[in-house]
Amino acid sequence: MSDEPSDATATAPAEVERGRGFAARWSAFRDREFSTVVVMSLGVLVFPVVFNSLLDGYNQLATLMLIWGIFAVGFDILLGYTGLLSFGHAVFWGGAAYVAGIFSASVSSDPLLVILAGTGFAVLLSVIVGSLSLRRGGIYFAILTLTFGQMAFYLATSPLAFLTNGENGFTSVDIGPLFGVLDLHQPLPGAFGMLPGNTLYLFVGVLAVAAVAAANRILHSPYGIVFRAIRENERRAEFVGLNVWRYKLMAFVISAAFAGVAGSLFTIEGNYVPLDSLYWTTSGEVVIMTALGGVGSLFGPLLGAGVYLYIEFIVSGMEVIGPFWHLILGAVFVLVIVLFPAGIWGGVEAARDALAGGED
Amino acid sequence: MTVLETDGLTKQFGGLVAVDDVDVRIERGEGVSLIGPNGAGKSTFIDLVTQRLQPTGGDVRFKDESIVGMDPHEIVQRGMSKSFQTASVFPELTVEENATIAALAAEHGAFRLNFFRHENAYPEVTELAAEVLDSVGLYDQRDETAADLDYGNKRRLEIGIALASEPDMLLMDEPTAGMSPEETESTVNLIKEVKEAMNLTFLLVEHDMEIVFDISDRIVVLNRGQVIAAGDPKAVRDDPEVQTAYLGGTAQ
Repeated sequence: MSDEPSDATATAPAEVERGRGFAARWSAFRDREFSTVVVMSLGVLVFPVVFNSLLDGYNQLATLMLIWGIFAVGFDILLGYTGLLSFGHAVFWGGAAYVAGIFSASVSSDPLLVILAGTGFAVLLSVIVGSLSLRRGGIYFAILTLTFGQMAFYLATSPLAFLTNGENGFTSVDIGPLFGVLDLHQPLPGAFGMLPGNTLYLFVGVLAVAAVAAANRILHSPYGIVFRAIRENERRAEFVGLNVWRYKLMAFVISAAFAGVAGSLFTIEGNYVPLDSLYWTTSGEVVIMTALGGVGSLFGPLLGAGVYLYIEFIVSGMEVIGPFWHLILGAVFVLVIVLFPAGIWGGVEAARDALAGGED
Repeated sequence: MTVLETDGLTKQFGGLVAVDDVDVRIERGEGVSLIGPNGAGKSTFIDLVTQRLQPTGGDVRFKDESIVGMDPHEIVQRGMSKSFQTASVFPELTVEENATIAALAAEHGAFRLNFFRHENAYPEVTELAAEVLDSVGLYDQRDETAADLDYGNKRRLEIGIALASEPDMLLMDEPTAGMSPEETESTVNLIKEVKEAMNLTFLLVEHDMEIVFDISDRIVVLNRGQVIAAGDPKAVRDDPEVQTAYLGGTAQ
């Protein structure tokens, strides 16, 4: 902290001071947009190597973690930054998954078009669901979104079974090669085959990096500060002249767009759309992943998604403790939230600050 | 030029007439205070002016336009800003971010669709925020979290947020409530400074008579929902009806 008098001169010594020390340099690096992309790309490349060799992981699960991670990163824009708890985001994830699947079977099997279709649907739907749900705040908003989610679930179960194939899930997914040449379910040609993970993982990885970069940009546009202002004091935000309702709707739509990309990828990854993807537990899962990873942080939700799926798929297969994975998940959640109310990412930040000598 | 004008403004709650046929007119550059005993209808009047409540009769015109039925953000966008009775800030954000939010709404309106333009590309917003923080004396504390400010500074920030909206008129609801004498003095000075510097028009609701007589050009006295006196501070102080209704009971 500088005690210099205010004016232009005060900033100069402050900058110099900020340049010192590892923590300071790290925070300067972190604030740059480019570094977010670099960190995320490196993470995506290194992750399967570590995951597969040390943690009993496999490429398919790593892919799934990234897909859920995209979902959770977008969800956090709504929950962590704007302070709105939706219990119905399954409708965007599952809705996009179904539209992606049906689109692939009957219109085009191009993966990018499939994603575009699924995401477009999620966005349109979110404008409708958001406009209606956002008329009420707090618990009523949560219940309204939950209700819309369950309505979609029942629609898919029977009235729309001719489209969705009802309880059996949609099985006719037909994903073609990317750009007409690159089959996502085959190894990459030539030297690219040396890259970690597999083709599908890398495809999802590229989109995950793009998703994180997009979220980072949105949060560093005026939207980021407006969202947090609404979370902090909605009435005051209205009285500085902001149209709070519209910004809330935008937060809702943006988070639904991320859910749409993720849901479409889920279809591409699994070649199948389970009816569960619309069930309220899916909405609950993304809430838990986000809270576990750390609400109000960019990377936290990715970690939350990873830990959640790790327990669901790896711990559940372990001897002795495997059958108790639900219990373990609950215990981990409680432990993390009690120790670090800001989630796993909050713990990471606390550890980093402690290592850096408690400064900053 | 008339900034605010109420015309036969009335609010009835069942059988109770909280605001009864009130005509108030505020000219540009004028500092007007609204006083009256508890239950006189001051808060209701402010709520009607900010459209938190809908009048049951009469009209509220701001810069010659009726604002009845408008949303708060529409009224603020037209140039009427409000400072709250409690220190209503954005607690977990920094002081600078608090001012930036208001500056953003002032410079770029109630809503912008572009969610992809980086915040660094809005220098006019950053400049306005810095200017406002400088004028309320919080520029040095710009990186502190608002929740960590002491109460007096929170109130200053609150006023700063209201000023960052570049208002044509500022409503202040008991700006010195809950302040220590030193904080009160510095806030009163702040209001005076800002009034001088920005030719600020304000409507102030206040209990503290000293402050009211000190900073107002004109005083409007409400009692039981009705205007019983209006005029410059001296005239109001000497008005016999005011003395009985309001000052009489507590005269030293």
